Amino acid sequence: MRYLTIALSKGRLTDYSIEMFEAIGIDCSELKSSSRKLIMSDEKNKIKFFLVKPADVPTYVEYGAADMGIVGKDTLLEEGRNLYEVLNLGFAACRMVLAGPAELAGKLDSLKDKRVATKYPRIAREYFEHKRRESIEVIKLHGSVELAPLIGLAEVIVDIVESGRTLKENGLVVLDEIAEISARLIVNRVSMKMESERINKIISSLRKQLEKGVVSK
Amino acid sequence: MPKWKIYTPEGVQDILFEDCFLKRDLEYKLRNLFRSSGFYEIETPTLEFYDTFSADGDLTPQETMFKFFDPQGRILVLRPDATIPVARVAATKLKDVEYPLKVSYIGNTFRYNELGGGRQKEFTQAGIEILGVNTAEADAEVIATAAAAMKAVGIENFQIDIGQVDFFKGIMEQTGLSDEDTEQMRVLIDKKDFIGIEELVEKYNISADLKNLILDLPRLFGPVGIIDSVEKRTDNARSIAALQNLRKVLQILDDYELSEYISIDLGMVQSLNYYTGIVFRGFTYGVGFPVISGGRYDNLVEKFGKRCSATGFSMGVNLLMIALEKQKIEVKKPGVQTLVCYDKDSRKIAFKLCEELRNQGMSVEMDVSGKNLEEIKKYAKNRKTGGIMFVRNGGEIELYDVNTGKTTVTSIEELENK
Repeated sequence: MRYLTIALSKGRLTDYSIEMFEAIGIDCSELKSSSRKLIMSDEKNKIKFFLVKPADVPTYVEYGAADMGIVGKDTLLEEGRNLYEVLNLGFAACRMVLAGPAELAGKLDSLKDKRVATKYPRIAREYFEHKRRESIEVIKLHGSVELAPLIGLAEVIVDIVESGRTLKENGLVVLDEIAEISARLIVNRVSMKMESERINKIISSLRKQLEKGVVSK
Repeated sequence: MPKWKIYTPEGVQDILFEDCFLKRDLEYKLRNLFRSSGFYEIETPTLEFYDTFSADGDLTPQETMFKFFDPQGRILVLRPDATIPVARVAATKLKDVEYPLKVSYIGNTFRYNELGGGRQKEFTQAGIEILGVNTAEADAEVIATAAAAMKAVGIENFQIDIGQVDFFKGIMEQTGLSDEDTEQMRVLIDKKDFIGIEELVEKYNISADLKNLILDLPRLFGPVGIIDSVEKRTDNARSIAALQNLRKVLQILDDYELSEYISIDLGMVQSLNYYTGIVFRGFTYGVGFPVISGGRYDNLVEKFGKRCSATGFSMGVNLLMIALEKQKIEVKKPGVQTLVCYDKDSRKIAFKLCEELRNQGMSVEMDVSGKNLEEIKKYAKNRKTGGIMFVRNGGEIELYDVNTGKTTVTSIEELENK
């Protein structure tokens, strides 16, 4: 039997992902050990795992280097890869929003030139292009995006919000909701067909686990 | 200093020796298959007007095309697709031919965004089109030829998924989705984005049965039996006609004895403006993308001035090469069988010998290096040449087997008698 290869996001999604797979009887002990091996396997089920940066997961899956992957919806939207998004795993939930100073609420259209600071240039562009039908200037940042409107680097930001505390403490408000974010199970388009039996089994087992609410969120 | 002179742009490649040999071999096999199946090959220009391709915005978005200007200021492109030029030719130069018109092509196409996982910006496509008939037989013939093409290049492990875009269009009509929402729904279903589909469907006030059918669309793939169960849940004429058309094509393919390679995907809804009926994709191990893509496009030729139904497929030759390599399928390798060298009195005889061997179909290299015999032996060994024929003393021949290192001596006469 051929190995099924699964790409997992390194970081806050890792533990949840392991928990999910263990709940459906996939052996993740090698994954949990602190070894320096880059590729871990479950020999019984013929499954290989590897951990990569979240933004790389869709790339591995699109090119077929991995058959499946677990990654956040934010990364999926930003990478815009050609693959199947088959299951909302529910964990790591947050929102992608447009935010800015409170005085801009309801008056966004009055701004002539919009500079948008974000870690997600593609999401920001698509949102303004499709939903607001406006041209914008995107300023790509790598962190502390909330700072940008405070010191005049940008008028608004597009970013992920969990509790909204950081926004509030800095006098920023949510101006519009862009998308609900959570971890998703993704599958390569060819693998879905060539290995449909095994992959569908994994999908339906995971779905059952989600319905039972076994996995913590 | 010209900084880039030793590099090639990203997304194009030099294809050398064994790869080139393999590629030509695949093209040869595909060409033979197309010819022996009654298709006539055409070659359209690499360079075309932008307008030819801009008619179909969603199939070839403008940002995917390599563009230039001609001296009159018109926009030219490197062709991003091989089917659209066929449609142009069919509606213009071939508008008065008798149908069905069966056309094949093998040529390079160019796209800006094609990169990674084996895709290149310059890539070779081979394909066929059947124009002027709208029959299930034509669709089945195209799919059967696609399957034969996979087998011809040596790939036995493959799957062809067949869908029918009218099934989706019928359901969208029934639901009353706006054009914009229909396109969004198409993208969501194509990505199997269940969550997005549910959100979009919630906006419309429709029956629970219809809603569940839409939610299930991305899951409607697998064995042929799916059609029967879906038909019971469908109650609009367009979708039912689509399923019946699909069933008819499958019955024909069954007589082609191809059923083992075929499965169904009713959630396959690529480019609705382009495809009008049967659509299909071919997959194999080792490549993350479909290697075959095809279907019926009855509205395309009309855009060039003549109503004409059409169906066809194209396959990516470079992707096939990757699949063969990843699946470790044995392929033919290039190589020289014999290297001929001579002493100064035997040149004329050596040339004659060379010509004769070549006429017999052998690949024979004439030594031009000016090296001595020992050096030539070393060269032949490194090149994996089969053997050396050293013509000396006006007709004597020393045969050297590169593999065994054995030497035998014979003469022209003896060789000719063999």
